[in-house]
Amino acid sequence: MHIVVCVKQVPDSTEIKIDIETGTLIRAGVPSIINPYDHFALQKAIELKKAHKCKLTVISMGPPQAKSVIQLGIALGADDGILLSDRAFAGSDTWATSYVISKAIKKVGKIDIILCGMQAIDGDTAQVGPGIAQHLAMPQVTFCEDIKIDGKKIIVRKLIDGGYEIIEANSPALFTMIMPKDFEPRYPAFMDIHNSLDKPYHQWSMADIGAEEQYIGLKGSPTQVDRIYPPPAREKAEMISGGANEAVEKIVDIFEKENFLKI
Amino acid sequence: MASMDTLSRELMLDSLRNYAKKNLTHEFLKEMDDKNEFPTEILKEMYDQSILGVHLLLIPKEYGGISGGTFDVYRVCEVLARIDLGIATGVFATFLGTDPLSVGGTDDQKEEWMTRIAKENLLVAYAATEADAGSDLVNLRTRADHVLKNGELIGYKLTGNKQWISNGAVADVYSVLAMAPGGPSWFMVEKGTEGFSPNKHEDKHGIRLSNTAGLSFDDAYIPKKNLIGNVEGHGLLQAQAVFGYTRVMVAAFGLGCGWEALEVAIKYSQQRIQGGGPLSDKQGYTHKLIVPHAVDLEAARAYIEEISERLDGGEKGLQTEGAIAKYAATESGNQTAEDAIQALGGYGYTKDFSVEKIKRDVKIACIYEGTNEVMEMTIFRGCWQEHLKTRGQHYVSMAEEMDVLHSQTPEVGANSAALALRALAAILEECRIQRLTRHQYITFKLGKLISFAELAFIFARRSSADRYTETIKFDRNVWQTMSRVYAKNAALRIAIEGLALVLGAAEKDTDLAENLNLDKIQVLQKGLISDMDLIALKLKDTFKAK
Repeated sequence: MHIVVCVKQVPDSTEIKIDIETGTLIRAGVPSIINPYDHFALQKAIELKKAHKCKLTVISMGPPQAKSVIQLGIALGADDGILLSDRAFAGSDTWATSYVISKAIKKVGKIDIILCGMQAIDGDTAQVGPGIAQHLAMPQVTFCEDIKIDGKKIIVRKLIDGGYEIIEANSPALFTMIMPKDFEPRYPAFMDIHNSLDKPYHQWSMADIGAEEQYIGLKGSPTQVDRIYPPPAREKAEMISGGANEAVEKIVDIFEKENFLKI
Repeated sequence: MASMDTLSRELMLDSLRNYAKKNLTHEFLKEMDDKNEFPTEILKEMYDQSILGVHLLLIPKEYGGISGGTFDVYRVCEVLARIDLGIATGVFATFLGTDPLSVGGTDDQKEEWMTRIAKENLLVAYAATEADAGSDLVNLRTRADHVLKNGELIGYKLTGNKQWISNGAVADVYSVLAMAPGGPSWFMVEKGTEGFSPNKHEDKHGIRLSNTAGLSFDDAYIPKKNLIGNVEGHGLLQAQAVFGYTRVMVAAFGLGCGWEALEVAIKYSQQRIQGGGPLSDKQGYTHKLIVPHAVDLEAARAYIEEISERLDGGEKGLQTEGAIAKYAATESGNQTAEDAIQALGGYGYTKDFSVEKIKRDVKIACIYEGTNEVMEMTIFRGCWQEHLKTRGQHYVSMAEEMDVLHSQTPEVGANSAALALRALAAILEECRIQRLTRHQYITFKLGKLISFAELAFIFARRSSADRYTETIKFDRNVWQTMSRVYAKNAALRIAIEGLALVLGAAEKDTDLAENLNLDKIQVLQKGLISDMDLIALKLKDTFKAK
């Protein structure tokens, strides 16, 4: 089996600051990390690789510095890595991004399983994984907490409201992974990092993957981010006291005054 | 050896930081510090090749290591020191313990010991210091007597005591300096050797997570194959050969501890509201307790990186340069941590905040691997020779380089650095003419002044470079402003302190004051406060409190 894991390099959200004057995020000088959801997906992929002797490829789309997350993936256990990097990719929204990654996956060849982190912590759209599946006309299961292989079947535990579903899938299929609360990310030992330099690493451009200009970058993006800003600070809440009946009367009064409710 | 690529190095540092985030919380470190306990399991994990394998950085590839360069080791040492200097010392001791092998071992010895250290994750100790032989190893008393069989040398019997040995009671293997009939020599000694025993773990002021113990040798038999290099008498030269390198490591400790403490202080100052606003907005606070230390630490960083790159480029020795790096960075780190306690006020004085521990820890960096007084002496001796050899032109030539640099990049304070260097040259020359270096005090003080000038020179040069290393957190404008501030301070201190020094010792009249360009140095002080204001603002931006 051949597994592909898609990973993204993102700003460390714990270090992002807000520019008080403009209300926008200050990204300059913020350290970059592997998207935590992708880190979980990668660790699950490595478990599968070890248990079933699969081949594992890690892919990322990003600027040249994103090579860091590819090297991390290889150091943790992937067999090879591909960075999709081209100025023409800049400005791509999730649809254009998923197009680029799907072209790269097509170039890789016959793939059995694609794992993605459920969402990236900078964009939080959770759209790229499903977008890739759509471009590849591949079945997808999202919100997966765990994944196993049983013969030719892929078994996932999908998180739903109030519980989970166990879903069986045939390959090829794409799964987006959501880490459990007790997820402990692994980091590679020094020797594994050193040895990762000996494994295959490729950097592919638009031409390498045969991507068409109209489907990438700003041109290929049906959506564009206008602005990212923090929500306005909440005002102090009004606490409603009294027994249930009294509280309900007070709340109805407030709703009427605020025009939420017409009685 | 050359350092590795930046990406690999940064990944290793990330692994180290993430290991520390998970396993070395402030609460854990505080508990171990309170108990004076060596964290055995932590060191085992740090050496475990499947978890971190940090010791592999210093073992050559051919013996199962990674062949890290000086720059790599500097960065790892800095990050380790930021985590805990006691743990950093435990790792450093292994680095140090393998040095006699690296420098003086035969190929077979390197193959045997380095491979074992790498593969078996062995902790190593470097056993040189004795009760009467600290700064001065010539007073070595531990003896290595010949053991003969049928008239042929088969081994040695070690007798004596060592003191203050890092990893002393926990190491698996020791490199031990002893006086053999042919002179001081290094021996590899394994734990459990009959006649060899470590003493109790010392109860120390700081680095309490580092195991420090004396060692006792009572006719401990060591086979002759364990004599490093198979030749007696080269021990002191072998020790000195790596000083440039080991001093850079301890310099990195000073830098790491200093920045860890300073970052705590900068963040605290933004949250502490007094007198109607945060302390971070108050000049009396920032310009005393924060800004000068940021400037001094970054000057030390520039110098450490310069020397690391030179060692990685194949230069040997650089003991004087190593001494300058060690002296400057550890003095800065120590003073920064001291002022970090002050910066946090009452909170800084409690154990709930990390700065008091950092201060207790970092003090050792001014003592071990050569006390800072020995560093002053070493700096003086090395640079004095240059001054004499060049008939007083050594620092004048460096000043001329700064003149050219100033004409190309006026923002970095190269004009002040040039004045600092010329003032130094004049002071050294006056000391030569009046034979003032017969006063030991003068030589030590000159060592200090020389370090200011050397750092000003390198900081100006490196801050004018097109590209900075990945370690520099500040933008070009800020780093160049720091260089400018450092150079202005260096010029003034060298001129005034140097003049006072000479006047205090001179027996003949001197016109030194006219040769120091004090008027020009004074003029260039203009703008110092606004430069410090800029640095204070940018430090707040860079280390924003949550």
